[in-house]
Amino acid sequence: MSTAASAPPRDLAAAMLSFGQLLRANGLAVTVSELMDAVRALELVDLFDRDDVYLSLKSVLTARQEEAGAFDRCFDQFWTFRSGEGQGLDGLAGPSTSAPRGDEHGEPPGGGESRASLSLEGWEAEAEDEGDPLEVPGTSAQEVLVDQDFSTFPAEQLDEVARLTVLIAKRLARRLSRRRRPVRRGGTVDLRRSIRANLMKGEIIELRRRSRRRKKVRLVLLCDVSGSMDLYSRFLLQFLYALQNVFGRVETFTFATRLTRVTEALKGASYKMALKRLADVRDFSGGTRIGECLRDFNREWGHLLDRQSIVILLSDGWDTGEPDDLAAEMLALKRRAGRVIWLNPLLGNPSYEPLTRGMAAALPLVDRFAAAHNLSSLRDLARHLTLR
Amino acid sequence: MREQIKEIQDLMEKADYVTDRAIATSVHLAMSLRKPLLIEGHAGVGKTEIAKVMARVLNTSLIRLQCYEGLDANQTLYEWNYPKQLLHIKLEESTSHTLEHKEAAIFSEPFLIRRPLLQALTPNGAAPVLLIDEVDRGDEELEAFLLEVLSDFQVTIPELGTIKAKEPPYVILTSNRIRELSDALRRRCLYLWVDFPGYDKEVRIVTRKVPGINQRLASEITRFMETLRTVRLAKVPGVAETLDWAQALVSLHADHLDAALVAETLGCVLKDPDDIKRVRRQLESDGMKRFLAVEA
Repeated sequence: MSTAASAPPRDLAAAMLSFGQLLRANGLAVTVSELMDAVRALELVDLFDRDDVYLSLKSVLTARQEEAGAFDRCFDQFWTFRSGEGQGLDGLAGPSTSAPRGDEHGEPPGGGESRASLSLEGWEAEAEDEGDPLEVPGTSAQEVLVDQDFSTFPAEQLDEVARLTVLIAKRLARRLSRRRRPVRRGGTVDLRRSIRANLMKGEIIELRRRSRRRKKVRLVLLCDVSGSMDLYSRFLLQFLYALQNVFGRVETFTFATRLTRVTEALKGASYKMALKRLADVRDFSGGTRIGECLRDFNREWGHLLDRQSIVILLSDGWDTGEPDDLAAEMLALKRRAGRVIWLNPLLGNPSYEPLTRGMAAALPLVDRFAAAHNLSSLRDLARHLTLR
Repeated sequence: MREQIKEIQDLMEKADYVTDRAIATSVHLAMSLRKPLLIEGHAGVGKTEIAKVMARVLNTSLIRLQCYEGLDANQTLYEWNYPKQLLHIKLEESTSHTLEHKEAAIFSEPFLIRRPLLQALTPNGAAPVLLIDEVDRGDEELEAFLLEVLSDFQVTIPELGTIKAKEPPYVILTSNRIRELSDALRRRCLYLWVDFPGYDKEVRIVTRKVPGINQRLASEITRFMETLRTVRLAKVPGVAETLDWAQALVSLHADHLDAALVAETLGCVLKDPDDIKRVRRQLESDGMKRFLAVEA
């Protein structure tokens, strides 16, 4: 077993770099040191044995099971690319790193997207401006906006409402983080410091204590993007993302007829693109399969949940599946998560009653049931985003 | 296949661990590259076992750090022996030693309790295998701390100075994915996903680990477990459950599975009352055939 860091052949290193590029284009956040390890790993296995190469690169370059699929595709692509040149890896020349087709993580195809419904461009930057102190937005014109249902705004006003959403969220964020600063007495005795402090006294007279830091709450958002829910989902997302510094982590999924994880897409610069994608998964054809989507979530992403997580589900509850299935999945969700909140914009209508079969089945398993149809209801929501 | 990988596979088999190439390759790389190996997979697929076998293969000791919520850096690394320190202070009460002297006395090696991480950095013999078990049960702070220790294999004890490992230990981390681990930790490690074994592998495991089991029972148990894992369950049974069950059936002198026997012993396999109810109901309605049928 040699760990000698003898200089690897240059073409092997170069090949690994381009393989790394291909992996990155496919959503694997491969680091340079991993690529260096990969080169070293290849010296430790049989370069002429495809399985050896495959298994060792996979071990070094992937970091979670979810990456296995993308890795396999990339590996196959990279290998086939040069299968005409013999079996070994030695002749690897720069293969194409073209972005994969239709992959979730791929670069979006360029092209101007219309600001059709609602622009959230620069939403983060705007949020920095904390000009006027907003308990409720200042002007009376804005006050009206706070209680108006999102769906009733004319298209040209949506931008302004979006800006307002972020402003309110930012203000709330400051207050929320202030509130969670630990000021408790008690906690556990810190023996180490107690002994130090009492060295000359011969026995412990004065106890030093330390408090356990409270963990940040994690949010998992499951947003219905079918039909009319889409608009509400966007506002909710925008609101919660502006609040995200308060939380340990925010994971976002959308669903209509199938579940899609959009956490990565919502990160940073591609936010606009992400909103466009949200629009792409919209599905008008046949209702929502909430139960099924929740099952997929529980099965594949259940590990994201713990007692420190709050699950927020935004949907009108028009489930085309079996209510029993929905109830079973809600139960599974509730068992793992710290808190489950169901937001239903229809609640904003005073005459609405949650009578759909799906809604009725799910309701007993929900910790909080609320509307999310206007700015003031979003503001109320913020109050319930703590675990205790 | 590289000779060493084959060798590791053979050694693991000899140590009664039925393995496959993916596992052997990752273990080989972990040993040669001296990188931590992060193993994930469902509960009961034998993740922890890999570390034990690795220690046996390397003929070195295994140091285990079991993670749990609230475990903090002190408990993993070192602690001062407080009762002993207190006694010492008491005994020294009447002496005229200076504060510095007293302090130096109680913060010296004899008062130090080595916890797993420090043990792994300062072994008595060869570099040990350090098993950081169920790292996902620990807090995020612990994870960050581990990341630091695992990157330079040295720790600083304020009272004693910096301690650096002469030879870094072989590190294996396991996770059941109760909590998502940070990217930083993941990317620092080699990664291995251990899935439920395929039919052939599981039969081999059962016949290997359960002495006295006949071939028919072994294959029926495995077939049953395979089908069971496709049913929607709250707690999907792992290989550990298969082995428990096989062991139980053997001590009941069973030589094949039948519905009554399965219904009686289902508790070895399923640990959730709803799951047991559900499977019992299916057994009543569909009979054993469905569970023993060979999948297309």
